[in-house]
Amino acid sequence: MAHLHDLLAYEVVEGIKGQQFTAEQYVGSMIKRIEDVDSKLRSFITVDSEGALSSAKIIDRKIKEKVDIGTLAGVTIGIKDNISTKGIRTTCASKILEDYVPSYDATVIRKLKENGAIILGKLNLDEFGMGSTTEYSSFYSTHNPWNLDYVPGGSSGGSGAAVAAGECTVSLGSDTGGSIRCPASFCSVVGLKPTYGRVSRYGLISYANSLEQIGPICRSVKDAVMIMNIISGKDIMDNTSIQSTPIAIKSKLGKLNIAIIKELINGSDHDVTRTVYSASEKFKDIGYSCEEVSIKNLDYALPSYYTLASAEASSNLARYDNIRYGFDFPIEEYKWDTYFSNVRKNFGQEVKRRILIGSYVLSSGYYSKYYLKARMLRSLLKLELLKLFNKYDLLIGPTMPILPFKIGEKIDDPFKMYLVDVNTVLANLAGIPAISIPVGFSNGLPIGLQIMAAPCQEQKLVDASLALEDTIDIQRRPKSI
Amino acid sequence: MISIEELKYLAEISKIDLTDDEINRFPPQLNKTIEYIDILEELASDESITMDLHEINFDELRDDVVKKSDGQPIIKNLTEEGFLRGPKMK
Amino acid sequence: MNLVMIGLEIHAQITALKSKLFCSCYGNYRDLRPNTNICEICSGLPGTLPIINKKAIEYATMTSVALGCKVPDKIMFYRKNYFYPDLPKNFQITQYNVYGFSSIGADGLFELDDSKKIRITRVQLEEDPGRIAYSEEGMNVRNSALVDYNRAGAALIEIVTEPDFNDPKEVRVFLNKLSLMLEHIGVCDTLLEGAVRCDVNVSMKGGNKVEIKNINSFKEVEKAINYEVTRQTSMYNRNLKIEYETRHWDDRKKITFKARSKEEEHDYRYFPEPDIPVIVLGNNFVSTLKGYMPELPNERFNRYVSKYKLTEHTSNILINDKKLADFFESCVKIYFSPVEIANVLITDLKSFIDNNSESTDYLSNMKVKPEHIAELVKLIEGNMISRLTAKDFLIKIAESGVSPSEVLNSTNSFKIVDEKTLKEAIDTVFDNEASAVNDARNNPEAINYLLGKVMKFTKGRADPKIAASLINIKLRQSEN
Repeated sequence: MAHLHDLLAYEVVEGIKGQQFTAEQYVGSMIKRIEDVDSKLRSFITVDSEGALSSAKIIDRKIKEKVDIGTLAGVTIGIKDNISTKGIRTTCASKILEDYVPSYDATVIRKLKENGAIILGKLNLDEFGMGSTTEYSSFYSTHNPWNLDYVPGGSSGGSGAAVAAGECTVSLGSDTGGSIRCPASFCSVVGLKPTYGRVSRYGLISYANSLEQIGPICRSVKDAVMIMNIISGKDIMDNTSIQSTPIAIKSKLGKLNIAIIKELINGSDHDVTRTVYSASEKFKDIGYSCEEVSIKNLDYALPSYYTLASAEASSNLARYDNIRYGFDFPIEEYKWDTYFSNVRKNFGQEVKRRILIGSYVLSSGYYSKYYLKARMLRSLLKLELLKLFNKYDLLIGPTMPILPFKIGEKIDDPFKMYLVDVNTVLANLAGIPAISIPVGFSNGLPIGLQIMAAPCQEQKLVDASLALEDTIDIQRRPKSI
Repeated sequence: MISIEELKYLAEISKIDLTDDEINRFPPQLNKTIEYIDILEELASDESITMDLHEINFDELRDDVVKKSDGQPIIKNLTEEGFLRGPKMK
Repeated sequence: MNLVMIGLEIHAQITALKSKLFCSCYGNYRDLRPNTNICEICSGLPGTLPIINKKAIEYATMTSVALGCKVPDKIMFYRKNYFYPDLPKNFQITQYNVYGFSSIGADGLFELDDSKKIRITRVQLEEDPGRIAYSEEGMNVRNSALVDYNRAGAALIEIVTEPDFNDPKEVRVFLNKLSLMLEHIGVCDTLLEGAVRCDVNVSMKGGNKVEIKNINSFKEVEKAINYEVTRQTSMYNRNLKIEYETRHWDDRKKITFKARSKEEEHDYRYFPEPDIPVIVLGNNFVSTLKGYMPELPNERFNRYVSKYKLTEHTSNILINDKKLADFFESCVKIYFSPVEIANVLITDLKSFIDNNSESTDYLSNMKVKPEHIAELVKLIEGNMISRLTAKDFLIKIAESGVSPSEVLNSTNSFKIVDEKTLKEAIDTVFDNEASAVNDARNNPEAINYLLGKVMKFTKGRADPKIAASLINIKLRQSEN
């Protein structure tokens, strides 16, 4: 038998229910795995071994008592550290929240726990989700398990690396402009950003509320479906959440119409382009139709994204003023003029830059020049994409225009870093679902294919992804680690 | 383009102290981004294009019902009298 | 004097709500230990989202309708960004009129009197901040303020008027009418501490606008405006330029003073609140709501005049005290004699209460109940007791809570209608008041004086109609 830590989520549930191993044994092996490899990867910010083991024991007891243990029983989940977990420190990889222990569980956490999933710990990210490499974590960079010198992508870099390295069965990330799909692509795993509203954001610590969603990162499409079916649904605690129907593993949608977005292919590295084209050929082989299309408003997408995300961030992050849950602060320093600015200088540089840009685009005189135009573009882009979805079931292209790069390579030029999000922000701006699935390697570095669908058409994403998974077997677990 | 003065104004309304190093380094970095988003100006203002906003029906909203908490304090650093500490306006 | 222009920004808490605007904590935060009426949402903990209270939208809509505002089919919320220690998120969720979306009410008109209407710019729904308690003791707290979030997130209605007032007295009339209106809709108990607050802007024709903040009760508003008008007039007379500025009202010293300019200069960076979708009220929302909206003061007035045949004066006295008007209607429901009931309430009960009670909630604590008033009026109209006796009865009922018929039986206070007894009383009065009797022969007014003496002699029990006619007969007899 393979290592326990290599099992997929559905295999874990089968194994525990079938009493091939106990939940405690499984969780124990995962904790051991983290102890073995995390000093190299640095995926985790907090590991809750004690909590995870005691949850595992409860499951084992329930099995003995023949009590229902839930559809995710024993599945260990790593949680991006910007999702609120009751009693477990939640830092957003920021100095400003270094000691913050939430008093409540995010809705997704509550649902996962109710279904027997075990929270293993909290995963590294770019501070507050702002970044594409996890280098902007205030604590440390996470390393790509395929090559430790390389970035794992971001901002959910811990979530991508931990799943690829078998440190947890599955993980949750959040995706504001590609933060689930980018690390999924760079780490050769599956990452799904749901339709806006499909998953409750209650407990997701906001970076840009109108753009972001929580979603799963897994080593198989089937695992992603299992997680999605648990965490989706309308939530009384999130007025922007919507109703949804479960995703099926075997649907009856049949052959789908696919379009490749020309600009995204043309703007990518040669190896990326080649690999994505060959994946599209596989779609043709299984009987899908495949054409090329153009998106007119593409050039405006990234400027619009950075305008809106920064604007919302500048307001969302205003609450970090140290008054409620902060660090000790000398009482003599509570001066009106300096207090706020003084405590808030503890943000990292990238967060500061985005707050400043956000204040700039919202400040009087600039609002209609930037913010309103960005909202307008967003509407135009959504209309354009919806029109394409009248004709095609799915739009595809590379998830990332480039291969994973070395740690430190782009850190000195924040603007260059922004440009790598160009393919992924489309789905956030339009509120549509998108998935990244592994399609190949170049020099041992993973390449991901992005598939987008119309709002609430996650089923189509899953159908196409499963079909591709059946056709091309791409390695999900690096052997080197 | 953001000048050092403008940067200081933005830092003031955003309530963030910047180090000298940041004051020197940020303007060129931010200006690259601003130059990039300036492309949005090319978009013609079109009143007919409304913001793409999500909607919710009135009937779906929360009823006016009180839910008492479980009594667990949700904030730690309270004074003996139960207050939080904040800066004092002169 | 130059033309003065005054505009108001009124904040009224929706005290009728059980829960806060965006969470399920108590709407009534009063008298609770600091920071015990808070949850993750209203204290702005990371990851929480505002969950809007349906009822708050209904109350704000009713207020908008009552102020003659248009209510749109869809409403949305905005963020107003500024840092303040009483603001848990360091932004306030409020409304804003831009780009095709309006607040819950816009473009209203409110009738001050027959000749004047005040334009209402907008009515909006927003969250109240927490409160800051400044501690004065100890070196340790020299720089720090004590913050209490119990109030944070309570629902507020903001009402903004155009600068249509030209006289502080008009402002007083407006605020009185507004309070009455809010009370009638049941939105706001304006007498609760901190339930209503008012910002004022005052300008002289051609001059800059001066805003006065921190006026924490309607009573102080007129004083603050008077002070400011005097200040600006004297500056104008001395040719001093009136600067655009924000001032605060000091309700101990009764003066306005200039706020430090820096803290008032805000770049609020408004943008649509992303966590609250556009709320679709729908086409029939306002008409449905109007169907079960409580009666407004002016509608009540019209009903009193037309259905109850009360005088305008009487109607106004009742309606200006909503609880008295409600009490009145309870009495009328038991015994339909509105005019007599109104008389008893206004002339007898109210004077009695004004003398005996400071409490604002006197009616519910009182032993006199609507059934008592109804029975009392029945006795008066059945000619069983006189109106003067009725007043004595009220005092006895208020003391002991017994019914009027019990008082009647125990005190033998039946009205005197027996002519023989009345004649004896009149004879006595005529003997004692010889000069008045002489006057009365020539001056019909003096007859009332004699009647008064007869009433007094009979301790108010004489039937005034019979007594008056007997006095007239006796005057004519003694003439001959």
